Amino acid sequence: MPTQSDLNIEAALQRAHAHWNAGQADQAEQYCQRVLAIWPGQADALHLMGLIAHAYGNTDIAIAHLRQACLAPRAPAVYASNLAEMCRQKGLLDEAETMARRAIAMDDALVMGWNNLGIILQECGKFEESAACLERVVAFQPDWAQAQNNLANTYRRLGRFDKAAQHYRRALALAPDYAEAHSNFAFLLSSQGRHDEAATEARLAIDLNPRLVDAYLNLAEVELSRYRYEDVLRVLDMLRVFAPQHPAALMAYAKALRHLERLEEALDFASKAVLYAPQSAEAHNTLATVLQSLGRTEDALIAFERAETLPGAVAEEAATGRAALLMEAGRKDEAMAALSHAIAHFPNSVQTLSMLTDLQTCKPGQPVLAPLEACLAEGERRPLGDRVKAHFALAKAYMDLQEPAKAFAYLDEGNRLQRGLFDYSSAATKEKFGNVIERFGQAKYKAFARSTIASELPVFVIGMPRSGTTLIEQILSSHTQVTGAGELSALRLVVERSMNFPYGIEVIDGAETTRMGQAYLNEITKLAQGSVRVVDKMPGNFIYAGLIPMLLPKARIIHARRNAVDTCLSCYTKLFSGEQRFAYSQTELGEFYRLYEKLMAHWRAILPPERFLEIDYEEIVDDVEQQARRMIEFMGLPWDAACLEFQTNSRVVRTASVNQVRQPLYKSSKGRWKAYESWLGPLLDALGKGAA
Amino acid sequence: MTGAGVGRQAQSLLNDRRYEEAEALLRPHLATGSGPLVLWRQLATAIRPQGQIDETRRIQEMLVSHMPGDYALRFDLAETLLLSGDFERGWREYRYRYSLPHTERIDRKVQRPRWDGREIAKQTLLIHDEQGFGDTFQFMRLVPWARERSRGRVVLEINSEALPLARRMGGFDDIVAHGSLPPAFDCHCEMMSLPMAMGLKLSDLPGAMPYLTADPQRLALWRERLQGLPRPLVALVWAGRPTHPNDANRSMRLTQFAPLAEAQATFLAVQKGPAEAEAATATAGMKVMCLAKEIRDFEDTAAILTVADLLISVDSSPVHLAGALGRPVWVMLPFIPDWRWLMSRHDTPWYPSTRLFRQARRGDWEGVIQAVANKLKIFASAHN
Repeated sequence: MPTQSDLNIEAALQRAHAHWNAGQADQAEQYCQRVLAIWPGQADALHLMGLIAHAYGNTDIAIAHLRQACLAPRAPAVYASNLAEMCRQKGLLDEAETMARRAIAMDDALVMGWNNLGIILQECGKFEESAACLERVVAFQPDWAQAQNNLANTYRRLGRFDKAAQHYRRALALAPDYAEAHSNFAFLLSSQGRHDEAATEARLAIDLNPRLVDAYLNLAEVELSRYRYEDVLRVLDMLRVFAPQHPAALMAYAKALRHLERLEEALDFASKAVLYAPQSAEAHNTLATVLQSLGRTEDALIAFERAETLPGAVAEEAATGRAALLMEAGRKDEAMAALSHAIAHFPNSVQTLSMLTDLQTCKPGQPVLAPLEACLAEGERRPLGDRVKAHFALAKAYMDLQEPAKAFAYLDEGNRLQRGLFDYSSAATKEKFGNVIERFGQAKYKAFARSTIASELPVFVIGMPRSGTTLIEQILSSHTQVTGAGELSALRLVVERSMNFPYGIEVIDGAETTRMGQAYLNEITKLAQGSVRVVDKMPGNFIYAGLIPMLLPKARIIHARRNAVDTCLSCYTKLFSGEQRFAYSQTELGEFYRLYEKLMAHWRAILPPERFLEIDYEEIVDDVEQQARRMIEFMGLPWDAACLEFQTNSRVVRTASVNQVRQPLYKSSKGRWKAYESWLGPLLDALGKGAA
Repeated sequence: MTGAGVGRQAQSLLNDRRYEEAEALLRPHLATGSGPLVLWRQLATAIRPQGQIDETRRIQEMLVSHMPGDYALRFDLAETLLLSGDFERGWREYRYRYSLPHTERIDRKVQRPRWDGREIAKQTLLIHDEQGFGDTFQFMRLVPWARERSRGRVVLEINSEALPLARRMGGFDDIVAHGSLPPAFDCHCEMMSLPMAMGLKLSDLPGAMPYLTADPQRLALWRERLQGLPRPLVALVWAGRPTHPNDANRSMRLTQFAPLAEAQATFLAVQKGPAEAEAATATAGMKVMCLAKEIRDFEDTAAILTVADLLISVDSSPVHLAGALGRPVWVMLPFIPDWRWLMSRHDTPWYPSTRLFRQARRGDWEGVIQAVANKLKIFASAHN
């Protein structure tokens, strides 16, 4: 190295840059220091020191060097542009935007400056201007893969999925090993419901860069969208190895665990997410949904409100989430206010519009139709989730408007789209139900082990979804000595943790049935609030009906029955929030109904009659008091007239029937299907003889 | 015992190199084929030193599929794959060698893209060597191949000790010593990343041999210095660089070489470093000429190895120098050697004139020395 006396500043800087290009950081830094010793504050030396610090991950030091470099009177535009990008990476968005704008004001031919401004604006939510900046960049430099990727990201945020896809493809054609572009493309494909392609892209991104956090999150999102919750957890476990406290990963854990009904764990992850990212609307929204599932209504409302007020794209979801929660809690006025508020802020939100359609009877000229139809007109440019919701909402609206042809066109397509999201096989259901019947053979059943639990607390309401289980629970829980617990997964979880149902049912001993029964009892005792009966109205528990007296000999089972076609039609018109995989094809619905019926016939033959009651929905509609008295008597309780005032019961209702049970009973739901007969061919065929 | 308790106990056995006991402890907990990943990782650590390479590989592949972001694991898998001769995936996984906690700091942040093996006519490719001298000698042969493949201008940046040898090898357009400023370049590649970039296969080896030559002047000096000594001249190296992570496994003491004295030969100690002092303590009946003080650099070593009839050495850099010079070499290897020697075979695709003597059991140097001594007697009588 030359001595200080013969050091020419320009030559020294040149050597510093050359050393840095070659990755010789020590030598580069030494030359910079020599320059700064002679000329403190020399902008080029400071700038290079900043770049070196940045490359070694010391962004704070890098920003300090660059800020100082930018103070020099002749600092070039590129220094401001680099400072802008480092500020963006550090989340200093205001300074980032200012510096990026200064850079292009100084030199409007600086492509990097336009690029940096474009991604800063994208992060600020100024998508239109971001797109304009980045369009300029790709026009200048069409072969720059990063710019193509950045522009695609902005178009994705703008909901212009077609343009986004085009630019991701361009980026990947230019740079096939570009991990970030593969990962971003995966996210786009996932939004479009193209899950297999999305998963492939995300896995490729992980293969190319195994520490790319977003790639794991996007893969988790794909699995979440197609209801593969165990796979979500597997992906997040991969991410946890090197990013154990990433807030987005904690949120994804919480979401998956909530769907798996592992609510305490979900709460733990959601609370951690809020702790690590207190300014993240997404974190508060996730926490709100978990609290909602836990029945902690007031806490959930607070979390939703927090999510609504924080910046970010989640506000819309939080607003509708809050409205839905208020609706569940029977606070209809507040719910409508929340919904109006949401509509005012997000007039084109499919989520909000579809909720509104669900809550009101649609009248001609209703303003919800146009934006929903406009959403569908955009086709694949809109997320698949939105398109499915819009189809179901429009179907509901056109049924209200008595235009069944239009309604069924939307309904068939909405169901088809949703059905494409998961695997389901009628044959597998048939085998499973057949197995249950065989294992619980009438002759063997009496000899099966019984627990010693004598509690009369549990009451199970079972049946098909949409067969009146919610109405029955609402009537029962209006009784002062009864608590309605909603649809609990507790029984399923106890069974799944103990055995591979129905295998081995004949060898389970008394100790094990007592342990299982007690595990269930512990769960509902927490919810009992001092009542003597707790109603668990998970319809799907019908598969376990024969097991219930083994675990809980004094438990009562009420089977809700309803006309087969009405039940199936009602299922077909609903977009369930949970999984009802059989409910999205008329044929599969009909087949499922017949299998359910056969299994119930078997239970009828073996269940102890004093613990098993069957109630027909149609009879409740005809004479609610008579049926209510039957049920209360069956439950061994004194009559309580409050049971007839069930519309005013303020407990939380959380099912697809939420907006109906608070209305007086309507006879229109009886034999409703006859008006739609000509669109129900596949269902009627599957149900076969005697369907009507 | 709880899972965590098993893990702690297994770790303490592994730290003491009690691999069989660690395996016996872990196996029952993993018998169903599932179990905590941390225990599987320990099992791989326990069975690899015992030579169960196929199973080690299966476990490591399973672990990587569950934890792709764990780079230490991927580097372990790379070493197992390369040891098994699976170059294709092995080189790919080997790219994580600078992403480990102890190597991240030395990762060189070159501000130009890494060459991916494609043609870059009219552009300049900077190839730079890495840490070990042995690695440099072994992989230098790829520099001319890279030049041919890339059709670009190649600048070689190489440690100053190996620079004269590289200069005589050729196959580049410009050469600079490590740390000095290279001319401007368009893309770069670490020397040990060349195999991945070019998709090096076992069948591509060894390439043109020899690719290194001794300096004629030094050669003349050493011919004179060693003139008249009874042949064969057998050069000896018994220890590697003591800071190498695997040194305890690969290095020996000169006294362990005593059985070699049965052969009629002149032994030249070319050992450098802390172990060179051992040559002064005469071994019973073994005539050892200590040359360490006279060896200034690899130019001297290369000349001596060219004059000598044979190098007998543990796994250390002179092995690669002699191999690249095309000289006869006998390498004494631990039971599980470094990946570059592969498993089982007694020759090596890297150097046609090199023969491998492997431990039959972990730590059994006596058997290796005895086998070398037996072969050396035959070798010596053929030379006498």
